[in-house]
Amino acid sequence: MLVEVATIGEIAPGGMKYVRAGEREIVVCNCDGHYYAVDRRCGHMNGPLEMGALDGTIVTCPMHHVQFDVTTGQALNHPVPAHIDEPLPSRWAQSMKHFGMLMQHTNVCNIKTFVVSIDRGAIQVETG
Amino acid sequence: MDVEARKRSLRYFFAKIVEPLGYKFTPDEELADFLLEQESHLEEAHGSPFCPCQGRTQNHAENMQIVCPCIPFHRDHFDYMKRCWCGLFVHKDVTDADSLSQIPYADFTKARDDARGSGDDR
Repeated sequence: MLVEVATIGEIAPGGMKYVRAGEREIVVCNCDGHYYAVDRRCGHMNGPLEMGALDGTIVTCPMHHVQFDVTTGQALNHPVPAHIDEPLPSRWAQSMKHFGMLMQHTNVCNIKTFVVSIDRGAIQVETG
Repeated sequence: MDVEARKRSLRYFFAKIVEPLGYKFTPDEELADFLLEQESHLEEAHGSPFCPCQGRTQNHAENMQIVCPCIPFHRDHFDYMKRCWCGLFVHKDVTDADSLSQIPYADFTKARDDARGSGDDR
């Protein structure tokens, strides 16, 4: 199904836009005039990618800095562990330790990409 | 994780950082490829692409100063050598990377002090 998600000029170069198309959550990326569309959810822990950073064709998740190539959906790195200098209250420290253990067992998956087409100034995504 | 893809993305980000510092990737492609591969393995194991030629310690702040590209933290020393410690980056004007060698930090500081004329004062 072809869904109109934005118009040309609506997304600045280097910018991203989150759109909901039916059941799908999609992020449309403007990579210097070339448009790409990927799953909104990070392949690590479902972070919202449009809240991260787009540099060239590489998007970085705001949660654990996992990066993806938006042209292929390929995951490019593993999550970056947080470093906290200050000692945490014991309950927080326990929680962080628990989350850290869970993260060690969380694989990073590639994200889905969608075919993008331009028609009379409209950016359309094939949602399948 | 696809190491080749990670190497490409590290190249992309590193080039942006070192270019304004006056550096470029070494023209020795084989060396660059090898070092980037080691960095991607270090990143996978330890979370950051540490310099493969410098040892990490238990001190987090110190370790952060050898995350590639570590040029800003060793600027004087690397400028003197016209390359970074492992040779992944060289000064932009360098065409023959093989002609450059590692110069121990102590030798560099001595040469620098001598040049400033303070060597005789000690």
